[in-house]
Parts: sequence; C-alpha cells; structure tokens
Amino acid sequence: MVEVHFDSWLREFGPPARETVGAESIDQLLDTLEERYPRFRFKVRDEAGSLRRYVRVFVDGEDVSRTSGLSTPLTGARTIHILHSIAGG
Amino acid sequence: MTKDQKLRILVGTRKGTYVVEGNARRKTWQVAPVAHAGNEVYHVVADPRHPGDLYAAVNDIFFGPTVQRSRNGGKTWKEVATPLLPERKARKFEMDPVNPSTAVPRVINNLWHIEPGHPSEPDTLYLGADPHLLFRSPDLGGSWEPIDSINQHPAKKDWAPGFGGACLHTILVDPRDPRRLYIGLSAVGTFRSEDAGASWTPTNRGVLTPFLPEKNPETGQCVHHVAIDTADPDTFYRQDHGGMYVSHDRMARWTRIGKPLGDDFGFAVASPPSAPGRAYFVRLSGRARVTGEGHFQVQEWNDETRQWRKLLSPKAFPGHFGVQREGIATDALDPPGIYVGTTTGQLFFSPNAGKTWGKLPFQFPAIHSVSISNPTRS
Repeated sequence: MVEVHFDSWLREFGPPARETVGAESIDQLLDTLEERYPRFRFKVRDEAGSLRRYVRVFVDGEDVSRTSGLSTPLTGARTIHILHSIAGG
Repeated sequence: MTKDQKLRILVGTRKGTYVVEGNARRKTWQVAPVAHAGNEVYHVVADPRHPGDLYAAVNDIFFGPTVQRSRNGGKTWKEVATPLLPERKARKFEMDPVNPSTAVPRVINNLWHIEPGHPSEPDTLYLGADPHLLFRSPDLGGSWEPIDSINQHPAKKDWAPGFGGACLHTILVDPRDPRRLYIGLSAVGTFRSEDAGASWTPTNRGVLTPFLPEKNPETGQCVHHVAIDTADPDTFYRQDHGGMYVSHDRMARWTRIGKPLGDDFGFAVASPPSAPGRAYFVRLSGRARVTGEGHFQVQEWNDETRQWRKLLSPKAFPGHFGVQREGIATDALDPPGIYVGTTTGQLFFSPNAGKTWGKLPFQFPAIHSVSISNPTRS
C-alpha cells in the first residue's frame, strides 16, 4: 500500500489530500483512483493514456514523470505525490 | 420587454469566463465574479432554446479540456461530458508525419466552439475541436458522438494546422433546416452538409490562397470566421486569411468585398439578426495582426448598397488592438448592439448599431471570445 498525496488543484476532481492505495505501478494506481473518483479520469492522463504535460508524479520524493513514468513499479514505495507542475504565465 | 430582463455579454478569456449583465437599454453593466479562473476559455455561448443555459469550452493547460455548463446564467458551472478521441485500447495508431515510422498518441488538444442545434432539435449541441474534429451531442452535453465524415475525412492527412492549431472553429446551422450545416476549419476552409453531417461539400470557390502556390484549390483556404445573415440564411459573410468575402448562394461561390479597404485581413465578423444585409468586420494589419491605423475601428458592410462604412472616429480609442476570431458579437435587439473584445482585454460596445461607442469600465485578461445571451420574454 502507498500513501498518495494530492495538491489542492487535483482535489477539485474528488480525491482527499491523501489516500491509501494498493497498486503495483503508477498506471495501476491511477486506474484505481479513476474508478474511485470518476471526475479524476483524463485529468492526470489524457485519453491516449499518457501523463499530461504539466502534471508531475513523485515516488518517495523522486520525480518519475519524465523517466520511468507511468510504468514505474511501486514495489517497496511508501509515498506518492501527484502535483501540477510549474507552468503558465 | 421589461427592464429586468437580462442581456448578458459572455466573455471567454485567457484566464477564465466572465459574464457581464445589463439590460435592453445597454447603458450600465455589471461584471460577475470570474469562473474557471486561470483557464483558457476559447468560447462561451448561450443556448437560446433553454434560457439561462450557458456552455463554455474550457482548456485547462494542466488537466486538459472540458465542456462546462451553467444552468443559471453563469452563477455556477459544472463539468458535463467532454468528447474524446477513441481511448488507447480502441484506437488505431497514428503515425508521426515528420517521422513516419513512429506511432504517436493522438488526443484532443483544445475545444474551440460550441454551437446549440436547431430549435426543432432542442437537445442537440455541436462542438468543434483541435485537431480538426467535429462532435454532436444528442443530450445537451451528456454524451458526444464523433462526426466521422469530418473526423476521419480521407483528405485529412493533408490538412495542416494554422498558427492557432488545427481548429474547427465555425459551426453554423441553417435556421430553416436542421440538416443543413456549415463548418469552418483553419487552413482547410469551409464545408456544407445537406444531410446532418453525413457528407460534406467543400465551399471555398472564389477565396484567395496567397499563402499557397496553387491559385484555386478546392480546400486549403484559411477561413478565420464566418457569420450567417439570419434574415437571409443563404447569405454568409466570411473573414478569411485571404480577405473579406460574401456569398449569396449557401457558400457555393464567394465574392471578395474587402478589396476597397486595401489590407482586408482580420479574424472576426458578425451579422446582427435585426439588421439584414449588415456585417461587421474588424480590419487588422495582415502583418502586425493589430488595428493598423493606430486606433480601434469597426467596418460595416452594407450588402444592399455594397458600400463600406467606418463606425468609429479615429479619436475615440487610439492604439493598436488585436481581435481574435470569436472576438465580435451582436445582440438581437433593434437597433443591434455590437460588442468587441480585444487581445489586451478591452471590451468595446455600441448599443445602437455603431452610432455611439463605449468601453466597459473593467480590464479583462486577453479576450478570446465574445457572445451574447439575449433577453427573453418570460
């Protein structure tokens, strides 16, 4: 089980500030969250299944958004942060 | 018409949705608190079949596009269904045109235009999106059906995006026939359907393509926006990259009318229901993409006399102003009100067909779209 932390913008789509989820990968974790919170669907991943450009995912403090990405295994992981990235203007 | 009936100016901006309330006198206005704050809102529109219903095309750079609806004139908004391309498990791979051996995921980039359907189809909505996509909802946004005659058009591989993207930005429904539809796509041109979108005919004859080597291609024209003359729905006014045009035969042939103006570039055009044969264009410098003469100006086309008329004194609002494709609107009152939003956040308006002009005492973010929710009799 991992503890998932959401920022305030993502909480507008349903999740609380933190949630405990059992999952083997980020993709699987997002599948579970989308089932629990239907409005969360397509907000973090687009309809092609890709992580949206301005969303970042951290596994135990390490940003995996542009490295192992959604297939990152969660074996042994404890904390996930899903945050909007620095963007805009 | 009673004084308490609201006339609403619906403003889509780079940073959210604004609803401006006034009444038929069109003298005083109240700006409601922003909705969708921080989001790109490309279009906001009222559904005249359901008074009080508004729709917004909200493009959140972080969490993607959504269709939002208000059922109370903009006081509160709620996300309804958003059309999607087929999800990854159901779709064929698209190939990258730059590197054809590479498969790329394809998603909806931005939502551009929401059009309520014909009054005889009170639950129908149309939606235009990037990349060159058209959808229809049979249930006021509860679900969306792709219109594959456009979305899977055999020539689509040759359709390139314009600077604003591959946007399908204009959707018009013939007020006499719900099956007759017109659409406009950037860098592709206009099309007409006589069978509710089952098939489409390109309608770009007579429109110049100064940016292409071919002189009279069937498609490839960069239409910026088209307005229908609701008093004579066979007549259309077109602002194209290649100038200003009129058609009197359901877009079968276009006649350039902007040539007397010199540079007849621009993005926006509107035609008021209460003034048949009139169209309002905001002429911009084709090079600078702002009003080129050093002041804000609206050009009125009189289709009966075939004459142009400037509606503002050069001294009224000096400066260089940009106006985007959805940046001008007219109301349905008589005389018509004209409303123009700029890329620097000014909202200019005339309550009397251009005789006098004012500027709303409110600084908006960059304005993408202006439309009107007209007063209705209760």
